Amino acid sequence: MGPEIEIKGVSLQYAQHIILEKITHRFEAGKCHVVMGPNGGGKTSLLRSILGLTPFKGEININWLGDKGRIGYVPQKATFEPSLPLTVMDFILLNQSRFPLFFRANKKHQQVALQQLARVGMADRALLRMGQLSGGEQQRVLFAQALLDDPDLLILDEPTTGMDDQGVRYFESLLTELVKEKKTVIAVHHDISAVRRLQAQVHVVNRTLLDSGSVSEVLQPAKIEQLFNHYGSAKRTTNMTPDTNKKAEVA
Amino acid sequence: METLRLWASYGAEAGWLSDSFSYAFMVNALVAALLLGPLLGGLGTLVIAKRLAFFSEAVGHAALTGIALGVLLGEPPENPIIGLFCFCMIFALLLHFVRNRTAVPYDTLVGVFLAFALAGGAALLMYVARKINIHMLENVLFGSILTITDFDLLVLAVSCGLIVVVLIPTFNRILLSSISPDIARVRGYNTHFYDYLFVMMITLVTIAAVKIVGAVLVGALLLIPGATARLLTKSMGSFVLLSSFLATLSCLIGTVLPMELKLPIPSGASIIIVAGVFFLFATIYRIVRKG
Repeated sequence: MGPEIEIKGVSLQYAQHIILEKITHRFEAGKCHVVMGPNGGGKTSLLRSILGLTPFKGEININWLGDKGRIGYVPQKATFEPSLPLTVMDFILLNQSRFPLFFRANKKHQQVALQQLARVGMADRALLRMGQLSGGEQQRVLFAQALLDDPDLLILDEPTTGMDDQGVRYFESLLTELVKEKKTVIAVHHDISAVRRLQAQVHVVNRTLLDSGSVSEVLQPAKIEQLFNHYGSAKRTTNMTPDTNKKAEVA
Repeated sequence: METLRLWASYGAEAGWLSDSFSYAFMVNALVAALLLGPLLGGLGTLVIAKRLAFFSEAVGHAALTGIALGVLLGEPPENPIIGLFCFCMIFALLLHFVRNRTAVPYDTLVGVFLAFALAGGAALLMYVARKINIHMLENVLFGSILTITDFDLLVLAVSCGLIVVVLIPTFNRILLSSISPDIARVRGYNTHFYDYLFVMMITLVTIAAVKIVGAVLVGALLLIPGATARLLTKSMGSFVLLSSFLATLSCLIGTVLPMELKLPIPSGASIIIVAGVFFLFATIYRIVRKG
């Protein structure tokens, strides 16, 4: 079972620019959560704060039910130099073991890597250079990398960016599978129809937490209009839990 | 080493090997080349992946200042290893420390540090010139196989052994920390630690290589074999192996060729010329294949 994530009064700013302002929230364990909001609204910063990749004020607790589990992460974008001879297989092996890439490859490691790549439909691309792949294909490989250790918590930052329909189908079926296994998934997503298909919990972040609830509660036609407005122009919605409502007022 | 030199001498006398092998310094130089080549080539692939080519050049140039400092502080002019080691290590670690704490672009920062170290070295050399024969500096700048002693070989062997022992279990993590630091950190790797570890390895190999390749050219040997291998390989494993092979071959040919042809060329220069020729051929091959 995946962990619960508890966020208490988290604020984040770069120089004078405020990114997140006193967010208090709880991501339930074993569910799929989608974080939505406009560009520059602080979604990525929230994810990076949860992962401890950026300094913030406040408190974030990852409450594991039992032993500390594993975390999988798909970053928003990874840049791979086209001329670097790093194959898709190399990249997966790199994440998988300490066994140096310049030694004769371990057959077992290779098999596991190929299995993971097959889950995202990339096994036939294993010998291509990472830099040769399209953005969508790179995202698929990054997703395979995140699934390597059978993670209990999966954090995905715009995982379907640049993906074709087939890639999105692989992604959605894997996500559904993971949620069935009671893993906790938190993903930043922009595609409203895809979020509807996932039947996830939706959380709208734009410097503060503006809205949170099920797809039917948050993604109503009247609210969608304001979903991607920049901070200041976004109106507070009323369909919030008492806790988040209070936070919105403070902000 | 003595046994090896004896065998080479017998080989030369019996006509199996060229006359050059009867010289002790030649055997020393070849052993140094065999120790250094694979390591410089292997580390060079990471230098390329991490885009640290300019950094390795800067450490090589800082060696000049380190040597001047060592001599001024009373070390023997032919082997001021403590000054060299301390200055280069402080230079490299300080450069990385400042890089992690400022928003100055890395190439600019390396440029500033490099210029500062060179200026310091140039200033100190005026004082050093009163103490030693200034022509000794040529050996430091461009390498000299004539001056390699058994002690140098011991330092080289210990340095290379240490780096190999550290590099094998950390290679994947150093590479992942450079190409995707966020993923590495989520996996629990201390990316700063691996960054500093790599910087220390580069500095150590640079110091160890100064005697044979020279301060000015050691950075090039970290770069050129890797750059050549990158043009010809399709996977990371073959990239590292080919780079190591080319660096070793360059070291061996660059050491033997001037002796055989009786050319008065410093070993560092000839090694880099050989490595450069390989790069040129690889580039032509790529252009022809593509075009």
